[in-house]
Order: sequence, then structure tokens, then C-alpha cells
Amino acid sequence: MALQAAALAEADAPAESSAGPARLWLRLLRSPLTLSGVIIVLIFVVLAIIAPWISPYDPSAVSDTTLAGPSAAHWLGTTQNGQDVLSQMLYGARASMFVGIGAAVLTTVLSVVVGVTAGYVGGIGDEVLSLLANVFLVLPSLPLTIILAAYLPHSGSLGIILVITVTGWAWGARVLRAQTLSLRKRDFVEAARATGEPTWRIIVKDILPNQVAVIAASFLGTVTAAILTQASLAFLGLADVTQWSWGTILYWAQTGSALLTGAWWWFVPAGLAIAVLGTALSLVNFGIDEFINPRLRQAGIGTKKAQRGQVRAGRPRGRRHRTAPVPRPAPAPFTQDSTDVVLQVRDLRVEYVSEGGRTRAVSDVSFALRRGEVLGIAGESGSGKSTLAYAITRLHKPPAEIARGEIRYTAPDGRGVDVLAMDEAELREFRWEELSIVFQSAMHALNPVLRIGAQIEDVIVAHRPRMAAPERAARVLELLDIVGIPADRASSYPHELSGGMRQRAMIAIGLALDPEIIVMDEPTTALDVVIQRQIIEKIMELKDRLGFSVVFITHDLSLLIELSDTIAVMYGGKVVEMAPAEDFYRHPQHPYSQGLLGSFPTLGGPKRELTGIVGSPPDLRRLPSGCAFRTRCPHAFDACATKVPELLQVGEPGARGTLAACLLHSVPETTTNELATGETR
Amino acid sequence: MRTILRKVFFYLLTAWAAISLNFLIPRIMPGNPADNLINQFHGKLSPSAVHALRVLFGQSDQNLWQQYLSYWHSVFTGNFGTSYAYYPSKVSTVLGQSMYWTLILVTICTVLGFVIGTALGMLAGWKRGSWLDSLVPVTTFLSSIPYFWFAIIMVYLFAITFKWFPLSGGYALDQHIGLNAGFITSALNYAVLPAATITVASIGGWLIGMRNMMVTTLSEDYVRLAEAKGLSRRRVMYTYAARNAMLPSLSGFAMSLGFVIGGSIVTEVVFNYPGIGSVLFKAAQSADYPLMSAIFLLITVLVLLANLVADLAYVFLDPRTRES
Repeated sequence: MALQAAALAEADAPAESSAGPARLWLRLLRSPLTLSGVIIVLIFVVLAIIAPWISPYDPSAVSDTTLAGPSAAHWLGTTQNGQDVLSQMLYGARASMFVGIGAAVLTTVLSVVVGVTAGYVGGIGDEVLSLLANVFLVLPSLPLTIILAAYLPHSGSLGIILVITVTGWAWGARVLRAQTLSLRKRDFVEAARATGEPTWRIIVKDILPNQVAVIAASFLGTVTAAILTQASLAFLGLADVTQWSWGTILYWAQTGSALLTGAWWWFVPAGLAIAVLGTALSLVNFGIDEFINPRLRQAGIGTKKAQRGQVRAGRPRGRRHRTAPVPRPAPAPFTQDSTDVVLQVRDLRVEYVSEGGRTRAVSDVSFALRRGEVLGIAGESGSGKSTLAYAITRLHKPPAEIARGEIRYTAPDGRGVDVLAMDEAELREFRWEELSIVFQSAMHALNPVLRIGAQIEDVIVAHRPRMAAPERAARVLELLDIVGIPADRASSYPHELSGGMRQRAMIAIGLALDPEIIVMDEPTTALDVVIQRQIIEKIMELKDRLGFSVVFITHDLSLLIELSDTIAVMYGGKVVEMAPAEDFYRHPQHPYSQGLLGSFPTLGGPKRELTGIVGSPPDLRRLPSGCAFRTRCPHAFDACATKVPELLQVGEPGARGTLAACLLHSVPETTTNELATGETR
Repeated sequence: MRTILRKVFFYLLTAWAAISLNFLIPRIMPGNPADNLINQFHGKLSPSAVHALRVLFGQSDQNLWQQYLSYWHSVFTGNFGTSYAYYPSKVSTVLGQSMYWTLILVTICTVLGFVIGTALGMLAGWKRGSWLDSLVPVTTFLSSIPYFWFAIIMVYLFAITFKWFPLSGGYALDQHIGLNAGFITSALNYAVLPAATITVASIGGWLIGMRNMMVTTLSEDYVRLAEAKGLSRRRVMYTYAARNAMLPSLSGFAMSLGFVIGGSIVTEVVFNYPGIGSVLFKAAQSADYPLMSAIFLLITVLVLLANLVADLAYVFLDPRTRES
């Protein structure tokens, strides 16, 4: 299951849909809590069905053994009239379960009809139906039920089922309506409508199957609620008190003063049975909840222990030094000869841990980021580039885990720190002060309930506790001004800003503490081209002015070539090529880079034919042996399947400083010749 | 502002629907409850009471529309006629005596249950995987227990076995109702068990909902960004995670409130607490229809008001709802 989480974290691909629905439902049973819930419910159902055959006595038969405690003859004791409590419980299970399941069936049918109709038909019908549902939802149901039941005295179980249905359908209808609304806009439903399929068929074939989980949850919830309601009504004497149900037992116990006589065996079993059955149904429902909401499933894995274990290897603690931030030397333009490394990553390996094993999302990646450099990291989704970005800042969440490697940060004053060895307090201090992040989607990365100004300010409050409020306010305005947001927008909420402005606000937050490094994870992907250009130009201008280094992550290679000093290409969790941008563009060395460059038009430069790469990005769980790219590589040969290529210097003229991980560049002459003469495949 | 107006309009509409429903129910019910009731009193009812009863069941010479209008008149004047369960008291008098007991008890318990449940749910979500996770099955069990049965157990344990608290009622009979220390102490003492029952039984629902929302919220990008910003743990937990996670709890307030109120009504019966629940129970047993429909109206209006308050709080807490 964690693998699904990994896959989801890496790519938004719905990994769930690949397995058959029947198997998915079976997976529900794998959780021990859900399984025990199902078993308990089944036991109750079976007992209710076979009650007449296994009851030791007639539940209404009176005897001389009155108010006797539990014994061999009466396992659960007897009542005031000498009736057997166990037999009453068994018969009671029948009535209670009948009401519970009957009411749940009727209620669910009604909610599905109303909810799906409202959601699918839309327009005025929807308005009226959802208004009706909302009205019923806020009406207090138990008083209404009591009154209705009082008007229908002695109507038996059927009357109570009807009453519960009337008062209980609204919740399910509302949830299903919302679901239908969102399903109706999905591609497969749109497609079915375009082909002129009749409405009822679309609803039955395309919409309902996708709502099974929600319908099941609402059904089980109603069973519990109905059993509780029936028990309440029976206890109040508003149901037929001559028909045995758990509520009726409690009614007779109450009127028979079981409490005062201390006959606990009379009133304990019935309530306990309701509670146990209710708990079991809730456990099944939790299972369904986790099934619907994968994030809840990850909660089980995201334990504290795992969080502590995020960095596996124990390492010597660096001493904490808290020195005043050294003012950065005036920004000098970056050159490829620079050796002033600000962030050194060595053999970094990030794995997703699951019951089934460990999946390597980032595989022994090394690079050096120099002061003032823009390092571009390119790769398809699933190549591990975002995982890498999070790992650098230790923001990765379980089940992701840094298995090995080193991340070393060097401050402007020459002081070095081991990022992976920091404890929580040191990490908090390091974060944003030295390294900040701009997330992919500002829409999701900004807190929706906090004003923009406050979201900038709280960084300053956390890291510069001594700064006075007016000074802070001035800094917020200054930052907004730097990224070109009008000052009065400081008091706006994220949803009130346009997409471009939100992204600029993100950048303003990133600049708040004047960090040495800014990691940008696809900062412009969600924006249109014009805004994208504005933002990029802003970033480059700020970089030149303020002199920070940038790790820029994107799948947009043409953009990357334009703005990066150095480019690293990732494939299957590995860096397969790293080169100065200029060299990379002119002489890409790895076949994958060549393919990537062939599939993107560049904004400037000569015209050329677009080619692209065959196949799709690899599944990290099942990487091909040897070179991960070989299955899609036009130049693959035998050795590629057995030998993992290392990232090595490529010694061709004109490509000084290029590193590539490809056997084409490291195998003996003969193989290269062989390749030159003909394909080996 | 427009959002608030729309909310107010919705609740007015709901109130209208509930009040009209209350008018309709006696008229569409099968059988002849009015005659049954009149026969029960063996002619001891005053002619005006008999007339009122026939009006309630729509057996007057007026047409439906006129009946509806005079029904509304009685709603606004608070004139719900005579109670049969408490004959010859007026319905309004009976309600006036009992409603404050329920109002105070349920308000305090609802607020307590919400605050404690949400706070524990926040912690359980934040520290998921720690011992706090064991709260989930425990509270699931607690919230599956019928309120009234839980009340029975509380009475059995703390009133009968340990004799820590009084068995039933709202105050010691030797006290006089009023703002004097003796009465207030006595009322508090009598309220402990009912309040504990309702609060404990209602915590579970809030806790589980909040925990699950917290877990969902913790994987949001804005929480990750808050961590990346190096903010303090408290700031991340309260302002970024919990602040967003509690919004669905609030918007689901209506349904939960209905549940708590329903449970409280039956709980009152067990404790013989002098509130609306006990009155409704007595009314239902003696088929006191005027009293029942007045109680239904009263509870509905109070629930609608509580929901309006919750909705306003929601508008205040979630800036996204403030426009459009």
C-alpha cells in the first residue's frame, strides 16, 4: 500500500485503477481492524437468523426463577418475571437487526435516487432537491421521530423503519449529489454522453459503480443510526413493547427497576450488544474511509517512529553554533570555473519503505551547487526529481526515507554543516534562513485561511524574534514590492489573488530571509506562457541582484536550457547526465537527453524536427536491469542489460565538464565500433 | 455579507418548512387520535380544551387555509393550548418551566464535547502513530453506545453503587428554585452525571472526524511549506493544520448537533431531569399532541439558531466563503 503512496507522491497517476475492483474490495479485509469489524457484524447477523432454533427458552415465557443472576440454566440470568434474558437478547437481535437493515436499505435507496438525480439532472430540479435535503438535514431528527412514532403507536417495526427513512435520507443524498456532480464532469461520463447513451444507462454503468464506497459507508452508518433510534424509541415505550428487541429489553428493565435491585445482567447485555455492533460497523466504515481517502491510509505508515527514522544512519552531531548571519559578499556573476560550493550532495539515496520492500526513488545522486549558480534538474514525472527536492530540505514524509548519502551546506563564512545530522531545532533554524523552497502550486501551498502578509510575516517572527512589528511590516511590504505585488494585497487571502500573483507571493515568501539557496519545484508549470515568462524574468533578475543559488526543477527542458548554468537530467531516480547548459544544448551525450531535446521546441535557435522518445516513464518498482533507459533507448546493446552505467566524465572535445551515465561512452572501442556499424537489436 | 443573508434566508425557510410540517403531521396521520384522547379523559376536559384538540387535528369548520393562518397566529403568540399530560397547565407554562434546564445542560455539554473532542482529535491526528491512536477505537466504542444506556450505567455506578451523586431529578427537593447558593450548588450536583454522560458520549464523533481531517490536512502542501519555513511546531499545528482541519467539523455541526440533542432527550428521561426531554417523554406516553408539537417547534428553532451561529463562525473562520 505504501507503494501506492509512493507512486501517488511521485506521479499523480491513479495507481488504484489498474487492479480489478473485486481485488480492491478484498484489500479492505487486510486491515485487522476492518476484518474484525466484518467478522463481528457477520456473527450478529447469523445469531439473529438462527435465534429461534438456538434460544434455550421462549423469550416471553415466565418462570419461578425471578431476577436470578447468570447461571448454567440461564446464562444471562432472568428478569423480574423469570424470563430468560439470553433468549430475549437473541430474539431482540432479530428485531433490532431487521429495523437496522430494513431502514438502511430504504434510506439508501431514497438517498441514491434523490442524490444522483439532483446531481445528474442539475438546474432547478437540483436546486429544489438539495434545498429539501438541507432542510431535512438541519431538522432535529429524534424529536421528529418521537412525534411521528407517537402518532403511529404499536405500528411495529415497519412503522419505525418508515419513520427512520423519512428523517434520515438527507445526509446520504447530499454526499451522493456532490459526488455525482463531480463525476458528471469526468471524461468518461462526458464521452458516454457524447455518444448518445441514454441517461439511465450512464447512471447505472458509469456513475453508480464509482459511488459504491460512499453508498456502502452511508448504508452502514444508517444501520447503526437506525438500531440506535429503534432502541431509543423502544426504551421510551414508543415502539411495540411486546415485540422483543434490545430496546424493549431495556424498557422492561427500566420499568422493572432493574437498576435499583442491582440486576445488572438485565440491562447490561442489550446496551453492550448495541455498542459492540455499532463499533464493528464503524470499524468497517473506517476501512471504507481509508479506501476512499488514501491519505488516511498513509497515516498508519506515517508513525512517529518512522518520522524519527527518516534519516537512517546515525551520525555524529555537529555542534550548534548560532552566529549572526554574515552579510553575503556582493553577488559576482557565476562562472563555470567557480569552486565555491554552497550545497554538496553525495550519494543521496531516498527509498519508499513498504511491507513489500524498499523502492528507490532517488538512487545515489551526487551534485555540487555553487554560489550563484542555477542548477536545472530535468526529468519526466516519476524520475525522482521532486523527491530529490524534498530530500535536500528533509521535507520528505514517511514512507520516504533517506537511506544513505550526505548533504553538506557551506555558509558564506566558510562554516559547513551536515544537513542530515541536524536535530529538529537545528533543522528549523536552518530551514528558510539558508534554504527556502518555492512549491509547484501556490494555490495549494499557501494557507487558505491566512492573509498573504501574515504568511510572509510568520517566517520573520519565527527566525528574527527580536525584530519589531513596524520593521516586520515594512519588510513584508518591501518583499511584496520586490516581486511586484501592490502593497494593499498584503491583506488579501490567497484565493483573492490571480494565479501569477499567487506564485509571485510564494517567491516573496521564499525571499523573506534572504536565503543562500532557493529550491524551485516547477514554480511556473501551472501558469500560462506570458505569466510564466514574467515570473522567470523576475527570478533571474532577483538572482542577479541578491546573489542566491537556485535549484530549478521542471520537465520543461527548453525553459531550463534558457535559465540554467548547469543542467542535470534524471531518469529512473538517477542523474544520467550533468553538463553546463550550453554544452548540454549543443552536445547532449546521453541518448535520453538527446531524446528529450528532440521532443522540445526551443524558443530561440535553429529549427529542427521534433522526434521524442518511444515508450513511457519506467515504474520505479520494476526498473529494468542494467541501464534503466535501455528499454526505450534506440542505441541499446547487450551489455546495457547487465551493466549499470556510472556517471562519468565524457572526454569528447567541445564537451568539457559533461558527465553522462551511458555505456556508449565507457565501453571499449570494439563495442562502440559495433554500434557505429549497425544496430545490435 | 451576502453569504450571511443567504444563510439567514435558508434558516428562515427551514423554520417555515418545520413549522408547516408540524401543522401537517396531525392532519395526515391515520386513525382518530383526537377522539381517543377525549375518551381517555372521560368527559373531564373542558369544552374549550376539546375544541382546541379538534382544531389541532383539523376537525374544525374552517377550511385548510384558514386553519393554517390561525395556526401561524398561535405560533407567534406562543399560544399552544392546554397540555393533557400536565392538565390543566398551559403548554407554554410547561415549556417555560422545563426549557432552561435543557438549554443550559445541552449548551454546556455540546460546547464541552466539541472543544474536548476537537482538541483530542487534533492531537491524535498530529501525533498519529503514537499512543493517542488508541483513542480512536475507544471513542468509537463510546460513541456507539446508546446515550440512554450509558446513562443507566452511570446511574448504576455513581449513584447507586458508589452513591457519589444523586439518583435522579434536577435539584434537591428541599431547595427553592431561584438565584440562591443552596439551589445552584444542588442543581450543579444533580447536573454532573447527566452532563458527564452527554459530554463523554458526544466526544467520540468530534474526535474521529477531527483526527481524520487532521491527517488529511497534514499532507497538504501548505503544511509542508510551513515546515519548510522553519516555523515552530505549535504554529504549524494550530495555524496551518488544525485551523484548516476543523472547518469540515464546523460545517458538519448541524448533523452532529441533532445527534447530541436526540441523545440528550433520552438521557434526561433516565435521570428524570426536569428538562424538555422528560416532558417530551411524558407527552408522548400520554399522547399529549399539543405539548409534543410545541416541543418539536421549540427544539427545531433552537437547533436552527445554533446552526446559524455555527455557520457564522464558519464564515468568520474561512475567508473563502465570504464572497460569492
